Amino acid sequence: MVFSLRPQQQRDKMKYLKLLAVFMNSSLLVDLEYRANFIVQAIMGVFQTGITYISVALFFTHTDNLGGWTYEQSLIIVGLFSIINGVIYVFMQPNIKRIVEMVRDGTMDFVLTKPVNSQFMATLRYVKYSGMANIVAGFAIIALAFGRMGYAPDAPALVAFALMLSIAILIVYSIWLVMGATAFWFVKIDNLAELFNTLFDTARFPITTFSGIMRIFFTFVLPVAFITTVPAQAVLGQLEWLTIAGALLMGAALFIAGSLFWRYTVRSYTSASS
Amino acid sequence: MAMLKKYAAMGRAASAITFEYRAQIVIWMMSSFLMVVMLLVWLSISRNGAVNGFSSADFVAYFMVGWVVRNLTAVWTSWELDYSIRQGTLSPKLLKPIHPIHNEIAANWVEKILRIVIVLPIATTVLFLTPGANVVLTPAALGLFALAVAGAWLLSFLADFLVGMLAFWTTQTAAFIEGLYALKLVLSGIIAPIAMFPQVVQDMLKWLPFPYMLNFPVEILTGRASTPEQLLFGFGVQFAWVAVLLVALTLVWKLAIRSYSAVGA
Repeated sequence: MVFSLRPQQQRDKMKYLKLLAVFMNSSLLVDLEYRANFIVQAIMGVFQTGITYISVALFFTHTDNLGGWTYEQSLIIVGLFSIINGVIYVFMQPNIKRIVEMVRDGTMDFVLTKPVNSQFMATLRYVKYSGMANIVAGFAIIALAFGRMGYAPDAPALVAFALMLSIAILIVYSIWLVMGATAFWFVKIDNLAELFNTLFDTARFPITTFSGIMRIFFTFVLPVAFITTVPAQAVLGQLEWLTIAGALLMGAALFIAGSLFWRYTVRSYTSASS
Repeated sequence: MAMLKKYAAMGRAASAITFEYRAQIVIWMMSSFLMVVMLLVWLSISRNGAVNGFSSADFVAYFMVGWVVRNLTAVWTSWELDYSIRQGTLSPKLLKPIHPIHNEIAANWVEKILRIVIVLPIATTVLFLTPGANVVLTPAALGLFALAVAGAWLLSFLADFLVGMLAFWTTQTAAFIEGLYALKLVLSGIIAPIAMFPQVVQDMLKWLPFPYMLNFPVEILTGRASTPEQLLFGFGVQFAWVAVLLVALTLVWKLAIRSYSAVGA
């Protein structure tokens, strides 16, 4: 560590890690309590991945490439799409649902008055483990693609993949954070979430499938390109330095903007106590 | 006549709610944007020549008409139903001297009108500006199209309501709603015209309700389903499924209400 944390900050850091462990543990207990639910959701997750696969594979009954990506390469994008979807189910959806409920019935008070960063507390409180099914299914598809290609990524490709996947998750988190923050204004935001899901549906295709304005939109406005295409390029060893820099910049900018936006909208919260 | 009055009243109430949340309508409309995206993907392929008899203009026609149909047949009642069953707010609705399903239908129609006001001009403009985009606008075709859309809406609404009723027995309705949505996405023609599937799949699909929720009405208006045999078979299967779902809904509803004990007040 180049920077040594001040004792206060160090204690804070520990506190947050401990809290995170407590959150994950309590969520696990809930999931264990409702095992049938867990199983239904997990099966649905695998089913969904299958549907995604069909929706992309269908194109390959008529063509041998989508925007220059072969069938096997596109499978990696399908896998990544499923993984990110899983991450959304595990971390983002359960929390956003609670944020909306808490703003609506006024129990957000209990979050805001706790001596913990409100964004941390509101967006990482719940974990839904059943979404892991999508993640596992996604990795299985990627493994299948590698098997068909007879390709094994080397160490640099794997490192780049891990980094780009983390950035992708950070970007998705930031977008969901912004959506959650708007709950302080609009209260009802389920439609906003639906809008995200629809636009995110494009992430199952390589970004190069789209041309012109659409590609620009899905790269810079709603950075779908960085969510699936870039990590896929990383694991295939086709990443350029410029893309890495762009991804890092995009991830950092969105996260900072999202956090600032959260702080800004929290101020509009007026509670809903009777 | 009395029913009409009731619908008018419920429609007014629903439109008041809809206008209250008017910003959301725009968002909702955009959420059927997936069809535009799929169109772009298909166009990226058809650039090199027709795909299964679909030229680029045919894809534009299919997806633009499909977009309109999708907005006309959009349903989301299952979410409301799931919520009101779990939260117990269904109880007061049950006490009213009218089946709760009518209220949902009225709300569904009000929003539909608002959606179509925006979607229709856009789709028409795109179709008008695309040379070779073939849409049959004879009175006969329009009449058949309207009937097929009505059937498609009925199928979508009934299937959605049935899935929503699962909330009487499980708290996991959301998973099933998502599952139905995923099936519809692939099998009804939202991501691809059914004609793009391998023949074996097409032969199986034509017996299932899904293609009749979107693909069938679109094929009528784009002139792909025009022979009496095609139409007779299509409407036959479509309304047979409507009947099946209607019977199922009635039975399940009776069963559910008997065992339903409200949560909360």
